[in-house]
Amino acid sequence: MKLDAHEVNEIALESRLVLTEQELDNATRYINNFLDMLDSFKELDLTNVEPFSFAEALECPLREDTVIAFTNTQGILDESRHVDGAYVKVPRIIEE
Amino acid sequence: MAELTFTPVIGIEIHIRLKTDTKIFCSCSTNPESEPNTNICPVCMGLPGSLPRLNHTVVEKGMLAGLALNCTVQPKSLFFRKSYFYPDLPKGYQISQCDLPVVANGYIEVHDAEGNLKKIRVNHLHLEEDAAAMHHSASDGRLEGASTSYVDYNRAGMPLGEIVSEPDISSSAEAVEYAMNLQRRVRYAGASDADLDKGMMRFDANVSLKCSDGRWGRKVEVKNMNSFRALERAIEFEIKRQKKILLSGGEILQETRHWNDAKGITSPSRVKEFYRKFIVEPDLPPLMVNQEWIDKVTAMMPEMPDVRANRYVNDWGLPREVAEVLTDDKALADYFEACVKAGANPVRAAHWVRTEVLRVMNERGQKIADFAMKPEVLAGLVVRVDEGKLSTTQGKEVFDYMVANDASIDDAVKALGITEGGVAGNALNDIITSVIAANPDVLEEIRSGRDKKGKKLKFLQGLVMKETKGQAKPQEVAEAIAEAVK
Amino acid sequence: MELYELNLHDAISGLKDKKFSASELFASCKARIDALEPNVRAFITRTDSTPQPCENPEGLLAGIPTVLKDNLCTTGIRTTAASKILGGWRPPYDATAWKYLRESGAILMGKVNMDEFAMGNTCGNSAFGPTHNPNDISRVPGGSSGGSAAAVSAGYVPFSLGSDTGGSIRQPASFCGVYGLKPTYGMVSRYGLISYGSSLDQIGPFARTVRDLQLVMSVLAQYDPMDSSCFREKNPDFTHREDVSLKGKRVALVKEFQSFTLDAPIAEAMKKTRKVLEDEGAIITEVSLPVVAKYAVACYYALAMSEAHTNLERYDGVRLGYTVTDAAGVKEMFEEVRSYGFGSEVKSRIIAGTCLTEPSRCDEYYVAATKVRTLIAQEFARAFGETDFILQPVTPSLPHKIGEEDDDAMKGYETDLYTLPVNLAGLPGLSFFTGYALGQPSLTPPNLGGEQGGNPSAQRGLPVGLQLIGPRWSDPELLNAGVILERNLGTPKIANGGID
Repeated sequence: MKLDAHEVNEIALESRLVLTEQELDNATRYINNFLDMLDSFKELDLTNVEPFSFAEALECPLREDTVIAFTNTQGILDESRHVDGAYVKVPRIIEE
Repeated sequence: MAELTFTPVIGIEIHIRLKTDTKIFCSCSTNPESEPNTNICPVCMGLPGSLPRLNHTVVEKGMLAGLALNCTVQPKSLFFRKSYFYPDLPKGYQISQCDLPVVANGYIEVHDAEGNLKKIRVNHLHLEEDAAAMHHSASDGRLEGASTSYVDYNRAGMPLGEIVSEPDISSSAEAVEYAMNLQRRVRYAGASDADLDKGMMRFDANVSLKCSDGRWGRKVEVKNMNSFRALERAIEFEIKRQKKILLSGGEILQETRHWNDAKGITSPSRVKEFYRKFIVEPDLPPLMVNQEWIDKVTAMMPEMPDVRANRYVNDWGLPREVAEVLTDDKALADYFEACVKAGANPVRAAHWVRTEVLRVMNERGQKIADFAMKPEVLAGLVVRVDEGKLSTTQGKEVFDYMVANDASIDDAVKALGITEGGVAGNALNDIITSVIAANPDVLEEIRSGRDKKGKKLKFLQGLVMKETKGQAKPQEVAEAIAEAVK
Repeated sequence: MELYELNLHDAISGLKDKKFSASELFASCKARIDALEPNVRAFITRTDSTPQPCENPEGLLAGIPTVLKDNLCTTGIRTTAASKILGGWRPPYDATAWKYLRESGAILMGKVNMDEFAMGNTCGNSAFGPTHNPNDISRVPGGSSGGSAAAVSAGYVPFSLGSDTGGSIRQPASFCGVYGLKPTYGMVSRYGLISYGSSLDQIGPFARTVRDLQLVMSVLAQYDPMDSSCFREKNPDFTHREDVSLKGKRVALVKEFQSFTLDAPIAEAMKKTRKVLEDEGAIITEVSLPVVAKYAVACYYALAMSEAHTNLERYDGVRLGYTVTDAAGVKEMFEEVRSYGFGSEVKSRIIAGTCLTEPSRCDEYYVAATKVRTLIAQEFARAFGETDFILQPVTPSLPHKIGEEDDDAMKGYETDLYTLPVNLAGLPGLSFFTGYALGQPSLTPPNLGGEQGGNPSAQRGLPVGLQLIGPRWSDPELLNAGVILERNLGTPKIANGGID
């Protein structure tokens, strides 16, 4: 096993996931199987291989710097249960 | 045992807001005056399914800022996703160029402790999006211990350039000069307004100490400085804090610390850093900048302030200090040069701009852009004084009148009752004649030779000058009176 | 013949010739949905209580009912990605693909089921419960676009849209007995598609004839500036032609795949299709894809999960969807929302993606996978120097029964070996119908006599699909080949959805 349940739990918390025992068990098995599968990459010589980014030479298209206001801003805010007046209200940031 | 000495090793990361009309990845306005949460759309709100679209002008402003810092434009750069969970970050990741930036390898100069010029290397400038603005407030109105935070997404997706220096800085003074010089240069380039009060320029500093006994303290990242003063104080605080620890044989922890401006201290940041998972942003293909575009942007670059100041000193003979004051702000330097172009003598024009124009701007809290008097008009005034049509004192009165009343030179001269070119010749003789006529006893005294020390002559000269409202040349008055009393 | 039975082309012609009205077509489809939906359960949200207005009565798709996979954003209409975490989110904007359909006059009947965030291949991993295969309602329809495939197969609508990240269009098309195209990456705008693996995702159509796919593609394949990975210069021509030919075209089998086991009906279909191709004058060849065969699965999951975990970071309950209002702090709020909102498969993939991109493992796994992907793309590019198309299965087996999923999730992934390399290389892939698995012993009931009797679809067994792959931008040629295959292999029939 590459990662024990404790380590997997730490990663889960980084992802803001609190797992049940069953989920942690599943995830631990899942990740270890997965990492084993990825070990096969070591068989390949990748030293001179460029990382893939796009399937063919594609340049980032550039947008004109012209304001086009989104007309349905209310439609965005209506979907949040945390809107308070003009703002979106969130609980205290305990870490600070 | 030799006393231990410490050399600070400082690198600075500066975020500047690039000057554009729209955000970096969507067409929402960047207007800082807008009502909260009005400049929002699916993209900057990170709504499911939305995709980023890169703003052409953001790239161009990033290139301009980079060129202002003597950087080289990179033909190919890439965007990454930088993950962390925080309510100000709608997507849970920030799109940033991180390691493959659009411009790299520059420098700017500062003065070291001995006053010598020293290069601070700029590693790179990369493009990224800003997070939303958070306002923390407690039920009792205090910020500290706030029970809720309010998010304004207008700032989410504002375009930023992050400028990362090499750790070439050795003191808080160098750090501040670096930051000020950088601010001046990016403003010159038109890349950013870099207005500190509006949060358009923010500082983080990496501080470590090299000890003469060979020990090298670990790097501490200090965040949250929003003014030059805060940058200076935070670095000084951190140097002192680390020195104390090293002197007592302690270890410096590699950590991120938060500058508390109110308390004047740094304290460990308890926000766990997640700036570590970088994956290539799959929604944005590589940014390619061809030579044609580089050439175009290079041609857009104005003369940088140091080059300009040197030109004023070398070509026009301005004192170094005056040249630096004038070139601090590009608009002011442009104003000055327009005066010179309109015919004013550079040294005189520089003096006028530096003393009179800046004085009025300061009194009124104005920027040069708001200053109503056209440079050509000021040039006209400078020329008239230079040609002796107006005395220096008169010139200043005329200037003040023009500024106060938005008047032309001629109107000001007229309103102030000034006779241009001064009172001389017959006009002066008439005045002298009438003054002498009104003071026969004085004339008698002079003619009788009792005025050995010339006091009475001076008395008459004073009366005449008063009558001319100071518009006669004192030498001419003296000669004319001497002639008249013979 | 009922109107719902019309394929897209015939429905368009019928409406144009005024043989029937759009509201009659709508009513027929709605009645079909009403009848079968208790068995099939393809919908997450129905929007057909009253006909949605047709935006363009002159458009190509004027009055044609359709459904969308529920990861395509629709203004004001709940969009869930089959996840609890999206709550009742009503997007404030339309996915471009839907916008194009809408502007061509298409009528939305509803949003259909899928595996949560498109993670899965059964359509059973949905917060809304599983969808059933209309050909045999005890079986899975495939996934993740299972609802889209089932809806077309069951005759709900003549065409639908799904998305394909590693086979999510092609596999359910094959399981449900319809045609499905995964277009070349960059051909159809992804704007408004809720992302899974952004560099792999592509939207595509399902239909009951290849010609219908051509019709839908002629609407979908338009440049969209909102998607920076969309190609501007390509103007693919999807005009249907009868005079197409495969004469002299090279069709390759993959050498490395030949030793892998296939269910008998699939192996049979390969033989039959090969014969058809040869009869049409195509040259059957072989290409070698050793890196694909050995490393594509690992490479795919490494990249899909690395991208997916970042795509799913935005679900924090602040701006939309499921949330809590009484959390002690922001961290607690995020934890409560995400722990409740995501299903366990999604959670496992998030954790896997996070794990792979940790700085200590990033080079070993994520960066290595991006390099393996380069090798895979190069391998395909070389192969397409030697052949015009590649013929291969979509899956090694026919759809299994609902609830019979293998416990070993990783084994489930390997069944995707035939589909996911196509996404890694950004290629187009067509899933086409080859016939029904007559005589397949695992099927119930056994064949009781072909097309006689009153219950043909129960007798004819499960549909069997195969896959034709072409080089990038060969989508029109791929569909032309599909037209020829359909002519020879037959057109699939509408499935009865468990109704006798």
